[in-house]
Amino acid sequence: MKAKILIANRGEIAIRIAKACEDLGHDFVMIYTDADKDSEHVVRYADQTGKDQKVWRISSYTDPNEILSIADHTSCTAIHPGYGFFSEDFRFARRVTVRDRPLIFIGPKWEVIKDLGDKINTKKVANELGIPTIPGTSAPIYNEMEAESVAEKLLLEQREQGISDPSILVKAAAGGGGMGIEEVHRLEQFRQVYREVKNYAKRQFGDGGVLIETCLRDYNHLEVQLLCSQHGERIHFGTRNCTIQSTGRQKRLEAAPGFDDSCFNYAFDANDVLEKVVDYSLKLAAHVRYDNVGTWEWIVARNGQPYLLEVNTRIQVENDVSARISYYKKKQPNLIREQIRVALGAKIGYSQRKIKFKGACIEFRIVAEDTGRDFAPWIGKITRFDFPKHDWSAVYTQVPSDRHYDIPSDFDPNLALALVWGDNIAQAKERGRAFLEEVFIEGETSAGEPMMTNLQYLAENIDRLLTF
Amino acid sequence: MQEIRKRLTKIEERLNYISQVKGSEKWGNVDSVLQRFVAVRDAIFDISTDKMATKIHTLEDEISFLEERAEESLTGMDRVRIVRSPLRFSLKDILENVYDDYTELGGEEEASIDASMVCAKATVSAKIKGKTVTQQVMVIGHEKGHGEEYRNGGCSKPWGNEKALRFMMVAQTEGIPIHAYIFTPGSFPVEEYPGAGQQIARNIYAMTKLEVPIISIISEGGSGGAEAIGCSDYRLMFSHGYYSVISPEGGAAIEGKVREGQKIPMEMVESCAERLKITATDNLRLKTIDRIVEEPLLGAKRDAYEFFKRVKYEMIRATDEVVLKTKSLRAFRNYEMKLNRSRKELGDDAHIDVSWELNRDEMARLLEMRSKKYRAMGCEGICAKGSFLGRLASRVKEKSSKYFYNIRYDMLHSHQKQVKQVMHDVTSESAVVIKQVAGPLASVFDFFTRRQESPALLVGGEDLNREQVYDNTYTSPLANEDRTVTCPNSERLGCKDLWVPDLYGQFGGVCENCGHHFPLEYQWYLKHLFDRDSIREFNSKLLARNPLNSPDFEKRLKVAIKKTGRRSSMITFDARVRGVEVVVAMLYSNFRNGTVGSTEGEKFVQAAERARMMRRPLLSYVHTTGGIRIQEGTLGVTQMPKCTMAVREYVDAGGLYVVVYDNNSYAGPVASFLGCSYYQFAIRSSRIGFAGPRVIRDTTGVDIPPDYHSARNALKRGHIQGIWDRREFRTNLHKSLMTMGGKSLYYR
Amino acid sequence: MSQQDTINYDAVLSKFREDPFAYVDINAMHTGHIRFHVREGDKVEGLTGDFRHIKGTLLCELTRERNQKPIHCTTNGEVSFVNKVLDGQFVQAGEKIMTIRHPLKKREIIEQILRDVLVPFAAPEKAKYYFAMDIQNRIEKFGQRSVSVKAGDEVFTMSLMKRDTPVYYTGEAGIIHSVYFKPGQSMELGEPLVGVCPPEKVAVVEKIITRVKAEWE
Repeated sequence: MKAKILIANRGEIAIRIAKACEDLGHDFVMIYTDADKDSEHVVRYADQTGKDQKVWRISSYTDPNEILSIADHTSCTAIHPGYGFFSEDFRFARRVTVRDRPLIFIGPKWEVIKDLGDKINTKKVANELGIPTIPGTSAPIYNEMEAESVAEKLLLEQREQGISDPSILVKAAAGGGGMGIEEVHRLEQFRQVYREVKNYAKRQFGDGGVLIETCLRDYNHLEVQLLCSQHGERIHFGTRNCTIQSTGRQKRLEAAPGFDDSCFNYAFDANDVLEKVVDYSLKLAAHVRYDNVGTWEWIVARNGQPYLLEVNTRIQVENDVSARISYYKKKQPNLIREQIRVALGAKIGYSQRKIKFKGACIEFRIVAEDTGRDFAPWIGKITRFDFPKHDWSAVYTQVPSDRHYDIPSDFDPNLALALVWGDNIAQAKERGRAFLEEVFIEGETSAGEPMMTNLQYLAENIDRLLTF
Repeated sequence: MQEIRKRLTKIEERLNYISQVKGSEKWGNVDSVLQRFVAVRDAIFDISTDKMATKIHTLEDEISFLEERAEESLTGMDRVRIVRSPLRFSLKDILENVYDDYTELGGEEEASIDASMVCAKATVSAKIKGKTVTQQVMVIGHEKGHGEEYRNGGCSKPWGNEKALRFMMVAQTEGIPIHAYIFTPGSFPVEEYPGAGQQIARNIYAMTKLEVPIISIISEGGSGGAEAIGCSDYRLMFSHGYYSVISPEGGAAIEGKVREGQKIPMEMVESCAERLKITATDNLRLKTIDRIVEEPLLGAKRDAYEFFKRVKYEMIRATDEVVLKTKSLRAFRNYEMKLNRSRKELGDDAHIDVSWELNRDEMARLLEMRSKKYRAMGCEGICAKGSFLGRLASRVKEKSSKYFYNIRYDMLHSHQKQVKQVMHDVTSESAVVIKQVAGPLASVFDFFTRRQESPALLVGGEDLNREQVYDNTYTSPLANEDRTVTCPNSERLGCKDLWVPDLYGQFGGVCENCGHHFPLEYQWYLKHLFDRDSIREFNSKLLARNPLNSPDFEKRLKVAIKKTGRRSSMITFDARVRGVEVVVAMLYSNFRNGTVGSTEGEKFVQAAERARMMRRPLLSYVHTTGGIRIQEGTLGVTQMPKCTMAVREYVDAGGLYVVVYDNNSYAGPVASFLGCSYYQFAIRSSRIGFAGPRVIRDTTGVDIPPDYHSARNALKRGHIQGIWDRREFRTNLHKSLMTMGGKSLYYR
Repeated sequence: MSQQDTINYDAVLSKFREDPFAYVDINAMHTGHIRFHVREGDKVEGLTGDFRHIKGTLLCELTRERNQKPIHCTTNGEVSFVNKVLDGQFVQAGEKIMTIRHPLKKREIIEQILRDVLVPFAAPEKAKYYFAMDIQNRIEKFGQRSVSVKAGDEVFTMSLMKRDTPVYYTGEAGIIHSVYFKPGQSMELGEPLVGVCPPEKVAVVEKIITRVKAEWE
């Protein structure tokens, strides 16, 4: 059945989705705002008008009414939310699917987005299934005495594990995005901090509930890429490691697989841990009847203990890192294509056994930013934008190479994603360095100052990949 | 010649007055008489004095005849015009002519915080057996004349009513009676400190238990403004005055749905004045007043000295009566007899010596009688459903449960500290006691109440079991539609259009961006505010009626009943909020816009009595109220003091009374039994006030800012204590009950 | 040479006399089906009422997701252009719907002339701007004309790439005479945000005001 998919996103992911649609033979529609009118995701598809008009100008990417208005007007049958924006908004997913003119939401069903979007709930469900989560409260605490005894227990546990400077985090249960989080090292400090956080939470979010958990330092951030269908099929595409992040906890380099013994002398059996997190992820996916692509995020401590962090119920930026080390019928799969297929009701059609994992892959997120000054975004005009072409690399970008481009100021200044892969991690690292050498990005600010990117930062951090 | 000129002037005056009263020169051919008068006047030098005198005499006779006919055919509107005439007597005339001497308090003439309200300490004396007996009174009343330019037409501002209250308190301190003269078309509808409605509510609340005799008399009784000084032990009314829930023009505009700026047809105003039953006779029949003081033909003017004598006599007599009734019925009968005897001898001037000072016991009786008076008031408007026996049965039932609660609270209260631990046992024991005591009654009771239904469960009511869309709890039926709406703040705050199922489902009708509250149906609150299945409605059968037989209104009531599946705009029920038992009185918008009539008032009073009996907090949740139901006229107006009395007695007995306003709350109820609460709160985005923008524009000529009545401004003015988010209504309510109600939730 | 010599009042005023109008474009604020309620040549009203709470003339209605949203006129004048082909059609966001020709008021002409006289402070980046908290409070309390700024003062907050950066004033000290931006509105690089009037120019500004008031009827 031929679908018509509205791509409710911008930039490189919009282009990737459009390509996937073309590959699958589906029709699609793009949306854009005035600030993005020079972006490749618009310009490339702007030539068709009239009945076949592909790009539509809207007032905001974050207004669901605009998206549905275009979807109805262009007779779309499905909506792909990409990542960010509406990708994990269960209300949007629900509205799309229950409205008078229902559409297919390309993502998990809304109930799953809702349940897994609630971190506290996810933690509760995981614990019931015996899946480890970061030690701490599984529900908001409102009582000071109770809170203190939890804090005491958590600090003691860490000391027993031989951690010299144990600490815990006190978080506003209703908070998010790093707001209302305080670290406590000694029990004597606890009451004071607890009260502060509680009052903050009450003021800010109208609910004084507080969460307390062990503060983990020195860990690796792992992700498990899953693909599930509405027919109960569940397969994985291995693990990736995205420990290297900017100060704002934005990912900059990712690699797959999650660990590699050649990179670091782990204190645990790396393969065993990777297998474990994959198994746990599949277990939770089965329990909630997960039915689309999704990422299970894990924290692995230096001693090899994994903890489930959260579930991202969307296609992620870095999905391709996993795809590039996976082979089905000797070909690297395209996860966006797979996502659209299963969302439209198809079966996956192959089993885990048919997927062979081979080699390693690294993703670089090329961003216009000043890495020396707290990764401050850079804004200006790009005058040169050249990437090398190799059969072991891929580049995804919305920035044109054939004309000048003003970075729109409404969004993060992400310029491109570059992936390189090789037979092993050493080769991938080597190719990554060589690749970055061949990238040329030039531009200037309104004041005539030269362009700043994180290319050098990326090159410098290659050696840190998959280490503690 | 001089004499003739005088008579001519007088004739002209009288003719003008008739046409003024009748609203037209056409009435009774006044214009042709006027023409003849002009002919006579213009011929003053042409004809002889004698001839002139005869002609004048004929004219005078004719006019007297006209006046009599005019008097006979006085309509409601004619009375309004009499009262509004600049020739009519005003408070100053009364102070000068009824009282011996007086000192104005709280300002003088123009130099006053509010010259429309006059307070004065006055002496009044009566000749008794040749001796002059002088007593002091506090005179409080509206003044619209003698300096019209600063009297504001007798429309008192909140601070004017506050002044009145202040001097009522002085009267209480000094133990002297209050004579209240009501000459007001209504209160000045401003919300400035503390707001017209708030001040009226405070006045009524204080007057319900003011420990001195209060005698009031109405010349012009404009709704809330009148009640601000009108809650009294004896209510008199001048025969040509009017007492009304709303001005006939205002009533016609509402009833006829006349748009602003359009002229209201005179016939509509006239017929509205009839329908509102505003005359003294109407009011006497409806028992909203106790006696009528007769005025001369076509109403008393400033020079009606005979009439002022009459007023003096009536005021003294009324005060005597009130005082004597507190002593004993015998004393009062004696008085009546004596008075009748001396009247035969001395005519209307007769007085009996009665001292107006009351002792403690007499004061208590005074208050008790005042309480009974208002409890019975406005009952003309309710049809007691069921037979006499049915009523008896419910009284028996009430008595027996009263007995139970008395045991449970009063008797146990004193021992509570010692017996706390065995409380359980004791309560079950007391249940046994009740069985024994109430046993014989119970069988009688069962017999009579067989046909009565057990308390109706609200849960099964309309719309409540409707299909639930997303959540297990109640979802508003408004949510079952795939469309979007614009938040009124979208332009200013950039709110996105809201998808209706989200808005009325998960968001509880609240804009997720700015917190604006969209109105929700009252059922939502029943489901979200109270514990599951805890609601037990009572008095659901009491029916809103059309006591003044207002044409068409019967039909409109039927429509409302059919639409809502309910019988009045007030729902009263027992419920629990997080385990706390409360009695709730709820006004909701769907039924005649939440207006209050006799039935609603009676239901409210019964709810207050029930809360008092059961020692439970009383919550008034006002989903919306449009004010007093104007089709019930002054029967509606008297619900204001009646319900306030119930609140006062409940609170004095130790009750916790909480009011929460939502959507739109205006006029009478806010200016009485709602506004008198110590604990008033509002739901966000609601509006609270005395008069709506249009009425304010009409009366003050000023445009008000769009947010004039907003909850936030009500908070700033000190009217309400806080603004609650609808989604936290339950939490906040529970918290308020706990913090303000204390341990027993019945705070003393 | 002082500023007043450089202004040729007659030339400036005659320019306004030739075309004493401002042309206000009305654009679709979002997508939807549009229905017009005015025609070319119609007279329209802006906001009225003591509190500017009465909405202006209904220009058109934009319907999206079954929400029929009226677009009211915000300025008085005459409809000088209507994009008629759009009537009843689906429009994209930002599409030009019509133009209102607004007869300039004295105050607006003065404001336009003053643009050349006052010291402008230009937007350092294409971004959204807000007044700094302190300045905003002072403007709300005392009015903009009583707020003076000098070099180094934190006057604006620039919202760029989801980050807020303080913007410090550079240039001659003076009072904020005119404001050319709406808080939160995206401003192009180099567009003036405010016009500052230094003390020595007060006389010139006043002269312009009296001049225009006298000559413009």
